[in-house]
Amino acid sequence: MDFYTGKVLRIDLTAGTTRVEDLDADYARLYVGGKGLLFRYLWDEVAPGLDPLSPESPLILAPGVFAGTAVATCSRLGVGFKSPQTGTIMDTYVGGSFGAEMRFAGYDLIIVTGAAPAPTVINIRDDVVELRDAAKYWGMTTGDLEAALREDLGVQTKILSMGPAGETMIPWACISVDHFHKAGRGGGGAAMGSKNLKAIAVRGTGSISVGDAREFLADLHRMHGKYFLAPAHIWAWEEGTPVLVDVMNNGGTLPTYNFTTSGTDLAKGLNSESFLKIRQRKRACYQCVMACRNFHSVDGVEGEGPEYETIAICGPNCGIGDIAALVKYNAECDELGLDTVTTGVVTGLAMDLTERGVHDFGLRFGDIDAYLEVPKLIAARKGIGAELCEGSRAVATRYGEPGNAMQVKDLELPGYDARATFGMSLAYATSDRGGCHMRSYPAMDEITTGTLPPDSLEGKALYNIDGQNISSVRWTGVFCDFWFPSANEIAQVWRHLYRRKVADEEVLLVGERIWNLGRLFNVREGFTPADDSIPEFMLTRPLKGGVAAGKVITVERFKAALGEYYKLRGWDEQGVPSEAKLEDLGVDVRL
Amino acid sequence: MSHVLISNKRCTGCHMCELACSAWHEGAFRPSVARLRVEVDPNAGRSRGYTCLQAACKKCAAACPTGAITESGGVVRVDAALCDGCADRPDGPACVAACPTKVIALYPETHKAFKCDLCDGEPQCVLFCQNPEVAAVTLKEEQPHRMRVEAD
Repeated sequence: MDFYTGKVLRIDLTAGTTRVEDLDADYARLYVGGKGLLFRYLWDEVAPGLDPLSPESPLILAPGVFAGTAVATCSRLGVGFKSPQTGTIMDTYVGGSFGAEMRFAGYDLIIVTGAAPAPTVINIRDDVVELRDAAKYWGMTTGDLEAALREDLGVQTKILSMGPAGETMIPWACISVDHFHKAGRGGGGAAMGSKNLKAIAVRGTGSISVGDAREFLADLHRMHGKYFLAPAHIWAWEEGTPVLVDVMNNGGTLPTYNFTTSGTDLAKGLNSESFLKIRQRKRACYQCVMACRNFHSVDGVEGEGPEYETIAICGPNCGIGDIAALVKYNAECDELGLDTVTTGVVTGLAMDLTERGVHDFGLRFGDIDAYLEVPKLIAARKGIGAELCEGSRAVATRYGEPGNAMQVKDLELPGYDARATFGMSLAYATSDRGGCHMRSYPAMDEITTGTLPPDSLEGKALYNIDGQNISSVRWTGVFCDFWFPSANEIAQVWRHLYRRKVADEEVLLVGERIWNLGRLFNVREGFTPADDSIPEFMLTRPLKGGVAAGKVITVERFKAALGEYYKLRGWDEQGVPSEAKLEDLGVDVRL
Repeated sequence: MSHVLISNKRCTGCHMCELACSAWHEGAFRPSVARLRVEVDPNAGRSRGYTCLQAACKKCAAACPTGAITESGGVVRVDAALCDGCADRPDGPACVAACPTKVIALYPETHKAFKCDLCDGEPQCVLFCQNPEVAAVTLKEEQPHRMRVEAD
């Protein structure tokens, strides 16, 4: 089967056994790869109501169907599980080299279940899978662990790991690949921690066949030049995501002082110009000719990142405008294996509650010393960390301000305040994994291009639906958002996958099919329209500063737009996909 | 007379050169048998590339006991029919031992030596280092008496 290895590696850590089975051909036909296969297999593997930290809960690794080929950006690896943070279906993506390498080792999917009796590293060398004692690695931070594993297993070994925050099962502990690349959201690190799984190491020497490889190469070279290395995307090379700092701050959406204002001077020292001054060199993910990553060095801290979301949430949102402090905080989170977005939102909330005298966390906006201690305290569940590790909703609710918890479905919000980009309120509320900007992204046209009004929800239901459908199909590749391929561009690549002409509609159909499958999963887990909301403060209280100051979304407008969204989706008033819709889309499961 | 060279300073570590190389020669993506190699240290954010210097080196050809490796037109090639993989040599293949950058190896399935042949004129590794701002993999004209792997 060209493009697929056709094999699934199953590892049961409780029993200490591994086995290889065939990839389900029907699932591959309907759901292609990456996100699609993650969702379809999770539907089968996760019994409704399953405790995400129980041994039975699966952790699935699914590279896209183009991982390990020369399709630019498609090295991204999908990691899927029922989230210990949100309780929803969770697909979180990471660049770097692991996804391609596991395909060279021969696997389209790796499904890990069970819990090892003692700390374990899974070591994969093509068809040889070994469970190694990981006592010597336990407690190691990301960089130390990677160095030790490469020393022990060879420099070409690719590593996927959790940090100390995964060991303590912080609900938003992340997964790291190649040290600085993160499957950041939803608590994959906690899932690994619950399995006593410190890392998976892989080395693959096999091949991915693609039919006529020379013809494929020639066509890819054409497409990269025409569509990817094009003026619309070259910002990723020149600046990378820090380019968004000024754009979003000027647009009044960069969250500041715990989502109460925007457009402050704090962002000025954290903009792209500032990061260019500390940039050492550009780095790339595996199989990507763009190289969006920036390797920075400041005050003795070296490494890749931070990216825009981290800059916004861990910077101005915590009252921080000092680039060295921000880079250090980011590095702390990276080494401990913490999602920077949730960590930053929780830090900002604690600062807000302290400043207003609601509760004293000993943490004030802009207090760099106290700020830099937070990631360690959270990872260790010590001091204020013992409380903050419960997440923003639990903390805000305890102090009587549930509407001040900047999260949706317990996933904390990234770097866009919806009061300055109304469409993002629907994006957050309807995302399959909670507060996330990676499913649909109205900020693109409400702020960056300025082609849509930012203070209106008119037409935004459809905008979000289109975005969610195409992002779902992009992540079968797994294409990166920094290419942002259109349905037509994906269809041109799929011509090689299916050896026939592919219509744009066929591409979009797969995306909509996947999105509806994810919805069914969340409905099965008990999520209702009440969960499809955004923080009350964001709906009802205006921002104090920035160009969107004074604007209010209002509960009524939001609810009307959500109703419109369900209707356009072909879902009933409870947000459940109709039988006719599922039939049309060819979704092969039912509640 | 030319060879492929990788600038360690410019390389971003994307491995696209290895992918294109293997697809061209193997008919499938298999970077473990690519004719050039990039090693990446993610912690340091550094790459190190290894390529064949062709006629400027020729150490493999000099070491080959069966005459399977020869240079013609500036390209050093292996004649698979003459290569026996140094099956009888206790220290392993002579060409591999002689190669300063370890870009000649025995093919895993056939146990015969294989190496860079510049893709018969248009090296795919150079073509797929496609971002003009990166251009880390380039075709260098040979410079006599300056045979060395570029280092930082």
